[in-house]
Amino acid sequence: MAVVTLKPTGNFDLTVEAEVITPDNFAGKSAQEIGQLLVWQGPKQYPLANYFEVKGDGADTTEETTITIDGDVSRVKRIGEGMTAGKVLVKGSTGMHAGAEMVGGEIIIEGDTDSWAGMEMKGGLLHIKGNTKDHLGSAYRGSWHGMTGGRIVVDGDAVNQVGGGMSGGEIVIGGSVKHFCGIRINGGLIVVKGDAFRTVGAEMTGGTIVVGGTIERFTPGFIQEDTESDIKFDDIECTGEYKKFTGDYAIPQKGKGTMYVSSVNNECL
Amino acid sequence: MVYKNIICPVCGAACDDVQVDLDTINRTIDVQNACKMGNAKFQEVVSSHRIVRPTIRENGKVKDVSWDEALEMAADILVKSRRPLFFLGSETSCEAQEVGLHIAEYLGGVADSNATICHGPTVMGIQESGMVGATAGQTKNRADMIVYWGVNALESMPRHMSRYGVFPRGYWTKRGRFDRTLITVDPRRTPTATASDLHLQINPNTDYELLSALFTILNGKEPHTSIEDITGIPISVMKQMVEMMKESNYVGIFVGLGVSSSYGKHRNIEMALNFVKEMNNYTKCNIGALRGHCNVAGFNQLASYLYGYPFGVDFMKGYPRYNPGETTTVDLLREKDVDAAFVMSADLVNHIPADSAKYLTEIPMICLDIAPCPSTTAADVVLPGVIDAMECDGTFYRLDNVPVHFEPFTDSPFPETKSNEETLKMLFEKVKAKKEA
Amino acid sequence: MQVLLNTGSTIDEGRLAKGGNKYSEDYKKECAVCWMCAADYATLGSPEKVAVTSRDGKHTVAVYPKVTEVMRSGQVFIPRSIWANVVVEPDTFSTGSPRYKGSPVIIEPTDEEVLSAEEVVLKLYMGGE
Repeated sequence: MAVVTLKPTGNFDLTVEAEVITPDNFAGKSAQEIGQLLVWQGPKQYPLANYFEVKGDGADTTEETTITIDGDVSRVKRIGEGMTAGKVLVKGSTGMHAGAEMVGGEIIIEGDTDSWAGMEMKGGLLHIKGNTKDHLGSAYRGSWHGMTGGRIVVDGDAVNQVGGGMSGGEIVIGGSVKHFCGIRINGGLIVVKGDAFRTVGAEMTGGTIVVGGTIERFTPGFIQEDTESDIKFDDIECTGEYKKFTGDYAIPQKGKGTMYVSSVNNECL
Repeated sequence: MVYKNIICPVCGAACDDVQVDLDTINRTIDVQNACKMGNAKFQEVVSSHRIVRPTIRENGKVKDVSWDEALEMAADILVKSRRPLFFLGSETSCEAQEVGLHIAEYLGGVADSNATICHGPTVMGIQESGMVGATAGQTKNRADMIVYWGVNALESMPRHMSRYGVFPRGYWTKRGRFDRTLITVDPRRTPTATASDLHLQINPNTDYELLSALFTILNGKEPHTSIEDITGIPISVMKQMVEMMKESNYVGIFVGLGVSSSYGKHRNIEMALNFVKEMNNYTKCNIGALRGHCNVAGFNQLASYLYGYPFGVDFMKGYPRYNPGETTTVDLLREKDVDAAFVMSADLVNHIPADSAKYLTEIPMICLDIAPCPSTTAADVVLPGVIDAMECDGTFYRLDNVPVHFEPFTDSPFPETKSNEETLKMLFEKVKAKKEA
Repeated sequence: MQVLLNTGSTIDEGRLAKGGNKYSEDYKKECAVCWMCAADYATLGSPEKVAVTSRDGKHTVAVYPKVTEVMRSGQVFIPRSIWANVVVEPDTFSTGSPRYKGSPVIIEPTDEEVLSAEEVVLKLYMGGE
């Protein structure tokens, strides 16, 4: 196992797009070669070494390469985009598109991330220990399929459109969500342990959503089917009693999704 | 001299029946058929506050300069910038916007327009769902039910109701208003709502829920009872509205910023569009947006056909990219992710939130406009604007995306330029010369 | 008092803006105005001027109150203009369009002067230049 450490040192006044920061690109390269990889700032490309102090060489294979970013990179976008294996550890916050379209491997972000983390992810694990913003694990604009595999874990809160258009995989949110959680999902699982503000499961045609907290404004096109206790999806356990709804009947598509809502926290439903 | 059939360069209606009597000797203008807003803009041709000289800010002081000096400084700002923002406003022609887009592409900047802070979410909703649309004439001749959703048409597009929506005598609606039913959905009791047969006074930010419930009813299911508390509308009234729509021969729905700017944004629009699609199983139904500016639809059309995306086009990597929330004006300024701005025919400082506006006043800004406004006050270079449809010819796209060619009734007051298009072409030449030097 | 701010056009706002009169007294009288219902106005203590503050407390703007029947309790309206936009939330839900409709704001009585559009730019945005 080889660890490449990147310490932010450069000027991030304009945001930097660094889709090169993946174990795939770092494997088989020396620290100096990694420093010569190009990133974008505005319409120009500059060497990675302009922005980061690079220590350690990449391993021979992607699987054995670990990248540690030692600092805050909240103005660096696309870290770990499309990675297939290996590991990225960020000891701070990242910008947009972290782990977008990742296929495998593991990304751990100790701080927050901006929007579009894990967009259209296909596999692997994305663990965000802080909060994230919009479009977590969702589809790109105009696309019908969001995340199709892998797992996203957020310890804090997410904001809007979590898992939009999701077709597979799992998203587990430790905190709360705001608007349109699970919009248009047609497969996969979203578990929100905290509260949701509104429009949970809007336009869903498949998949499962579990909300452990309170939904402030319930989506009107859902119909209660049943009550279940202590539901379990492989290793994800949701204890307590849940009201089971199907929907969204607002849209004419035949398939319908399942939504579990905590009975204790949503007595009025 | 009297000029007829002049196009009005103000709101998205782009009315084509304005009559102008221009007295060049006494410098007065008499305008017939235009609304209050239109009339006010026509007065700009002879107004005393018109910006007539280019200015630059030097060491904090604003001074008059020649056109050449102003364009030189503007080109300097753009060439030195590492990531310029081009806000190509929509009260000017497609021809001028096109040059602006090309400069943005050449410099690897970002090009955006008023749609981004207006009906941008509507355009995004259309990308998600597709749209059952129609030209304004279709609704005029066929629609026997009009729904104004989140729009106060009487005040934002004053002649929409009289030209296309409610009052005109159409081919199948010969008695005008008497042949039409009017429904308004608005949290305020606006003058438009007062003039309606049914006003749904919904709670703010609950448009999506109401649309979703209407759709559920249309699908023959009962919406969840909590919807009454959420939206403030009884389910019985929702059912009545759906029935009224189904029983009509032709429903024309017009959405405004109440739908696209409240919580939910493009998802509200997307739901409305899906509802309209489904409604066509029962009756003819179409939807359109009441666009705020005469050519705001034009930028969307132009940018889409030139670069594939309707607004927020980022040329940073040499090819166009689009991601609202990342490559759009308010977000770029809020996140301080551009370092200079070119603002054309739009008062951006006036119309964006404080955090974004404050940053815009901090970075070098070039402003092309016709009258003093917050943007020109904060600008480092001000270029006088030529008024399209009055002083030069060109193309607008109307609210229903119909292109309208306009002819002027007078000339540009500036010997240096005939139109904003020409001003931008001169600027582009200077930018190229500096960049290639 | 926390309320929801709605912004939008009024015909005279349109007339003055399109006519290039943003620096006129008329524009200020039309747009630097916060519409509210009589009950909310009474709760505030019938002040001559109100301060509207964004939810995060970062931005405040003083405007004149206007009592009208078209507003419901808990909702206020300011015509689309620089005064309204001082307190509109800049968050765009990843759409590019800020919360022009339904921004939560705080309103309270104030003695602050109501600034003209030009003064708002110079004092609030350009730091008194």
